Order: sequence, then C-alpha cells, then structure tokens
Amino acid sequence: MPSPPPIRFPSRAFFEALGDAMRAERERFSRLGFFDTTFGVRISPDDGGEPAEFALRFEVFDCVRVMEGLAGVEADFVVEGPFGAWREMFDTIHALGAADTAQSLNTLTHFGERLRVRYDDPDGHDKLYRFAESIQEFLDLSARIDYVYPDGSRPPARRDDLRRSAP
Amino acid sequence: MSYLSTIDFTEDQAFVDRFQRTMRGDLELSWMDVPRERVACRPENARRGLTFRDLDVGAYGFTEMPELIRENRSFAPRGAAMPEGLPDLQAEVSRKSEVWAYNIEGYYEEAMTRQWNATTDIPWAELQSVDLPEDIGKAYAQLLTFLTEVEMIATDVPAKWMGRLNADFFEVKNFIATQAMDEARHAEIFRKRALSTGWGLMRASAQNEFNLKFLRDADSFAEASLALHLQAEGMVLTLFRFSEYISPTEGDKKLFRLVMQDEARHVGYGMQHLKWVLDHFPERREAIHHHLDEAENFVFGGGYATEVLEPFIILSGKGLKKENIAEGVRITNAFQLKQTDEYFERLAKCGLPERRERSRLWKMVEMRKQTMPA
Repeated sequence: MPSPPPIRFPSRAFFEALGDAMRAERERFSRLGFFDTTFGVRISPDDGGEPAEFALRFEVFDCVRVMEGLAGVEADFVVEGPFGAWREMFDTIHALGAADTAQSLNTLTHFGERLRVRYDDPDGHDKLYRFAESIQEFLDLSARIDYVYPDGSRPPARRDDLRRSAP
Repeated sequence: MSYLSTIDFTEDQAFVDRFQRTMRGDLELSWMDVPRERVACRPENARRGLTFRDLDVGAYGFTEMPELIRENRSFAPRGAAMPEGLPDLQAEVSRKSEVWAYNIEGYYEEAMTRQWNATTDIPWAELQSVDLPEDIGKAYAQLLTFLTEVEMIATDVPAKWMGRLNADFFEVKNFIATQAMDEARHAEIFRKRALSTGWGLMRASAQNEFNLKFLRDADSFAEASLALHLQAEGMVLTLFRFSEYISPTEGDKKLFRLVMQDEARHVGYGMQHLKWVLDHFPERREAIHHHLDEAENFVFGGGYATEVLEPFIILSGKGLKKENIAEGVRITNAFQLKQTDEYFERLAKCGLPERRERSRLWKMVEMRKQTMPA
C-alpha cells in the first residue's frame, strides 16, 4: 500500500498537522493555560511572487481552525518573512527538537531582522507575548512532522548530539 | 491590637443564652427567609470551565454595577444580603472607573490558568552545565540584580492596594492578587538565576530605586496603575523581550518567555483600565498627563543608570572588546527606541494620542533619533 504523500511546507495541511500534534499534547498545553488568539502567518517566496498566508485560531487549549488567506480575518498580529527565514527556523527545530537561542520566535521578530510582526492594535500585538511560551511550543511541535519544502527537499533529521545553547 | 470589639461576648448573657439554645437544637433560621435572587450559573464553554463571566448575572454580576458604590462598605460579597450592623471598612476606592478594566474577568481567568513554577519549570540542571565567560556572567548577574529589585516593588504595589479597594470590585481584587503572585515569582526566579550564575547578586541601583519608590507611593490606585501597569510594566515587557533576545542559553530564553507572558497580561489590564477611565471618567485626563510627566522623568533617570544600561550593552554586544561594545551600543539604542515607541503607541491606543506632543521623554527620544547614525 503506497504511503500518503508527505505534507508540504508552506500549506494549510502543515499547520493543521501542528494543530493535531497540539491536541495529542493536551496535558502539556493545558498546563500552559488558556491560549486565546488568532494570528496570521505570511511566508513570502524568496524570488518574489505571492506570499502564502494562513490564519491560525486558538481557543482555550487548542488550535481550533486553520484558514488559508488573511483577507477578512481579524488577526491580533501577523508574523511575516521570507521563505528562507521560515525554513531556517523550521530546519533548526527539526534538527534539535526545539528552537535554539538564535531561532526562537521572539528572537527572530524582536528587531524584525529575520521575521517581522505586523499589527494594528498594540493590545493584539501584546498577545504574541501573553502567549509566548504556548506559541513557541506549538511551533516546536513541527519537529515531529514529516514534511517537504517546495523543491522536494526535507528538513534535516534529528541530531541529539547538537547543543541548543551557545554560550 | 488597635481594633477592639464593642462587646465582650463571654460576658453578654443574651448572646450566651442564644448560643446555648442553638446548640440544643433550637434554630433561629431567619437567614433562610431572606428573599434572594436564585441563580444556577453554568459554564458557557465546558472546555473553559465555570468562569467569572459565567457568573455575570443580576445583582451578582459586574455589568450592572454602578459607578459609585455607596451601599456596600463591608466585606459582604457582591450580591449577598446585607443585614444591619455590618462594619464600615472605609474602603479607599469605591468608584468603579478608578479600578475597572474592559475584560477584567478574562484577564483573571487567563492569569489563573497560566501560572507556572520557578522551581520546577526551568531546566536548572541544564543551565548549571553552561559556563558563561566572566564579562557576560557578571553583566547577566547585574541585569538579574536590577530585575529582582524591580519585581520586589512590583509585588508590593498591588498587594498594598488590594485591601483598600471596595469589596464589590471582586474581579479586580482577585486579578491584582494574581499579579502580586506573578511578581513575587518573578523576584524569586531572578534571584535564583542570579545565584546560579556563579557570580551572585551584583549592585543595587539608587537611581532605579527612586523610580520604584515613586511607583509605590502613588496617591491613588488610578495613578499607581497608570505608572505600574502601563508605563513601568510596558517598558519592562519590552525589556523582557530584549532579554530573551540577548539570553545566552535556551533555559534563559524560556525563563524570559515565561515572565514576559505575565508582564504582557499586566500591561493588558493597564491598557484596558486606562481606556475605561478615559471612557467613563474623562475629567481625569489632565491628572493623568501630570502623573505621566513625573513618571517619565523617573523612568528616564532610572532606566539610564549605568548599572542598568551597561549590562545591556555588554550582553547584546556579547563582550567587552571595542567591537563588542560598539555593536552592543547599536543594539541597545535600537531596544530603547523600540521601548519608548511601544509605550507611546499603547497610550495612543488607549485614547491619549496627544501624549507624544506633551512628553519631554518623547522629545528626548526624537532628538536622539536625529543624532543617531543612519
């Protein structure tokens, strides 16, 4: 029986797979607490062209909905950046099991050097920080997902010998 | 013992007789006959559980609460029958707009579910296996000393005000109780991290402590909240995000993500409170500006003290060499501009867009932007 085709990044299926992984980790996310926000993700192709956009809606302890496109979505904030920056972050997570000191979402977005945060309302923007650990652990779940990039390549395999902290 | 009962109950024969009749089974039961509003509150969302919002019904709720609480001057829980003879507790704050915030009940529930533990939620063993270079270690220990100082006063301020608010402001009192716990945990974690770096606590900051004293000694809750929740914690929130950015290890990054979550919630309360004040008590606008004038004066003095500023430069430049310091100054400059931009952005969103024009802090920041290299 042929195995199902791998999930592609970026795609709605990729973020839905993260949502499934989150549901499987109910106890861990319940311990982190209520997580109520809708935020957007915008991934721009490195060679220009239309960005891939997704809205992720979280309620109580779950990712309850993933939508393709941001038109008409009232997002608290949108994290955006070039495909290369997103790939570097997800590659690191896949190799190490979680983001390292250089690739945490806050570090990547703080000065907007790699990824940027767009928002209209500072109260919505602050939800990125009110739920910082939940969002980081949600992204870190991608280490468990089997996916491919548009060029057919895959993220690096897990390497337990690598240190995440670099003093 | 400054408060004495007006009755010595053991010598009051009527009281003793009544007590003895009750204990023989002769019940009085008048409390059972008080007409009450009967309710059976249920969770609107079973996954979320029974929340304060689910209890917002009739006289028990907060939506219909009047602006001035004239009736309840006791500990009677909002909605309870109040018999004659309840004591007057002389609450200092009985005006709703001085304490209330949009979504206060939501902030409380979020706070309760997002509590964490400084002893067990941080990978302390992993942190101890990382040796920091001397300059980085000392700068980090100095930053942690400063943050411990800040969080100790941030614990004292909400705790000071809790008992002074009218009992009808139940949701606010509970929220600031969670804040006092959050801040105590922050002081705990920064002290623990300082004492686990190998360097210990470094130097207290006189300039910073004048700022903290200003926060503690506010004349009203509304002023305390403005300076604490919105101005100080807003700036500290940007500082925590910056500290996560410059953290030397993954364990330290997690530490700062956890504290920033709490801080962002407190800032959220501060914003929603200021919006509420301006919507319901607009005559306070000038008083708010006057208080911010002095708050910004203190924050400028405290935030720019050398023992506060220099660790940022060393940590963000990753060392003490000339090129490290140049890079550290560049990054720290960017951080401080971001910190003040976000502060004025929040004030504008709350309904004070004119603050930028009135603020000497804003003028100094604008001058600095013009002198910075492109």
